[in-house]
Amino acid sequence: MAKDKAKIVVKDLNLWYGDKHALHNLNIEIQKNKITALIGPSGCGKSTFLRCLNRMNDLISSVRVEGEVVIDGKNIYDKDVDEVSVRKRIGMVFQQPNPFPKSIYENVAYAPLKHGSVKKGSDCDDLVEQSLKSAGIWNEVKDILKEPGTGLSGGQQQRLCIARTIAVKPDVILMDEPTSALDPISTEKIEALMLELKKDYTIVIVTHNMQQAARIADMTAFFHLGDLIEYDETEKIFINPTHKKTEDYITGRFG
Amino acid sequence: MSKIKKNKKNVFYDPSLKRRHFKSKLFKYFTLSSLIVSLAFLAIFFIDMVVKGSSAVQQTYVQVEVSYNEQSAENYRDAVDKKYLELLSRAVLREIPMQIKKNPSLLGTTKVAWMLADDQVDMYMKEYYYKISNKDLATLTELIENGRVEKKFNTIFFTHGDSKTPEYSGILSAMIGTILTLAVAMFVAFPIGVATAVYLEEFSEQNAWSEFLEVNINNLAAIPSILFGLLGLAIFINLFGFPRSSALVGGLTLALMTLPIIVVSSRAALRSVPATIRQAGYGLGLTKVQVVKDHVLPLAFPGIMTGSIIGLAHAMGETAPLIIVGMIAFIPDSPTSVMEAATVMPAQIFTWAGMPERAYIERTAAGILVLLTVLISLNAMAVYLRKKFEVKW
Repeated sequence: MAKDKAKIVVKDLNLWYGDKHALHNLNIEIQKNKITALIGPSGCGKSTFLRCLNRMNDLISSVRVEGEVVIDGKNIYDKDVDEVSVRKRIGMVFQQPNPFPKSIYENVAYAPLKHGSVKKGSDCDDLVEQSLKSAGIWNEVKDILKEPGTGLSGGQQQRLCIARTIAVKPDVILMDEPTSALDPISTEKIEALMLELKKDYTIVIVTHNMQQAARIADMTAFFHLGDLIEYDETEKIFINPTHKKTEDYITGRFG
Repeated sequence: MSKIKKNKKNVFYDPSLKRRHFKSKLFKYFTLSSLIVSLAFLAIFFIDMVVKGSSAVQQTYVQVEVSYNEQSAENYRDAVDKKYLELLSRAVLREIPMQIKKNPSLLGTTKVAWMLADDQVDMYMKEYYYKISNKDLATLTELIENGRVEKKFNTIFFTHGDSKTPEYSGILSAMIGTILTLAVAMFVAFPIGVATAVYLEEFSEQNAWSEFLEVNINNLAAIPSILFGLLGLAIFINLFGFPRSSALVGGLTLALMTLPIIVVSSRAALRSVPATIRQAGYGLGLTKVQVVKDHVLPLAFPGIMTGSIIGLAHAMGETAPLIIVGMIAFIPDSPTSVMEAATVMPAQIFTWAGMPERAYIERTAAGILVLLTVLISLNAMAVYLRKKFEVKW
């Protein structure tokens, strides 16, 4: 793989929850405009790793991180990097759809207005429309923009959350099991949306659903007990894994 | 539940079932009887207060001829016929010379007026125990026969402050004192309490120090209120030199007392805001202030309001700490600022309850009814605010 296509380079990443060593010496290169899936059994550290990529772990006071996460040539754990500006460029979508209890319009417009990237008025209206279109939900909500976002269905709420993330104009979107709380039809819509979004964004997704990883991911990383066991192209991982553990997990022998 | 009979074909038959169902029924009636007992206590209290207090709604007036002349301008005893003197309220008679001084055109006139009756006359009219001499009683009976004694709506109770003559005493100055004191307490305790809760819940790190603080805030909420009175006395009166008996000192003391309640309830409200809302905010690159101010606080607001109003309602019924800072004073005129000596409703009730005159008993009960009405309205307001600001999910 060509070096210039790497968007995120993780070097010797270690993480502790208090005394518990949760991530061991991770090294991984995440490629630009690709979907990278993180799979592994519960408690393997894949969500923790995902949260390292936008410094969400900083919110937990007992967490200590060592190593480097270099995004576009800059280590986000450097002293001169503020975690708030990291999260602005590395957006995140969560497992539970979590729209703010405000109107659909405000859900999308709130963060860009606070960041000062748009002014109130037609600019902001355009941004909201663009973001909702990119998230594939515009046609469903264009007439009810003033209604609360919490009144939408689960799948619509999750797409609203994606629209809200896109509105901040990030480079990378992190998704932490974004479809595990949704029904199959909503899941399908979100998967189609991800394939659409990877043209403009680098996407990292944590999933428990191996078919989902096989369907949409270009690259797949298998985690086990805080170690990165194997990281390769999705086809290779699912058809011809190098490690025995990966094969056992994928074929359902444990997990 | 239909009866399940012993039957070879009935595979669901269970011999222990009867006994077990009986026990659960017993438990149900035990809990129900506790509810009935507590409701009965409340009902007895309310009925007793209403029965005792309802007679204070009316007050007896006597129709007499009042003459405004040189003598009565000097001595109120000359304003009415000598035989009526003992039947009329001294507090009202005493005001006649002052009225003449204020309005000299009254001089030389006489008018027939309904004058407030003495409390013993009032007791006689309400058929309570009374103490009136035989001579006065004869005069009174004659007046009643002539239709010159009447019970009218007791406006004095709601428009006057305390008085040494029971018929002339009212709840107004205590009510205003309560309002001023609570206003001070609210303006101090609400912002400090909510800000403290926001700091502890959103900013401070979880460590031994924060745990120590948490335990002690809970301890503060449980401290006997009279100790807060002593603290208020030591700090606000002795150290800062604020005027004693004033609504300022009382309010600050109550603020000290309410603060832990507001902190604890606000923290609970903040904690009940789902973590996903904070994550959503931080995930978008928002700062702490933006997340807390725009997303967490609005969701916690109904809970914070409810806790604060209930804390203040609790403070409103508080008497002990206010006695210590001198708010049990005799206050005939309503205070106009927080620096003036004032009293509060529960302290007023306490004062009246200790008075020897029979007429104060109905005032005590009426005062309790007024206090309860205000308390219930405050709690109703808390429920209303909660409903109004609650965000629908």
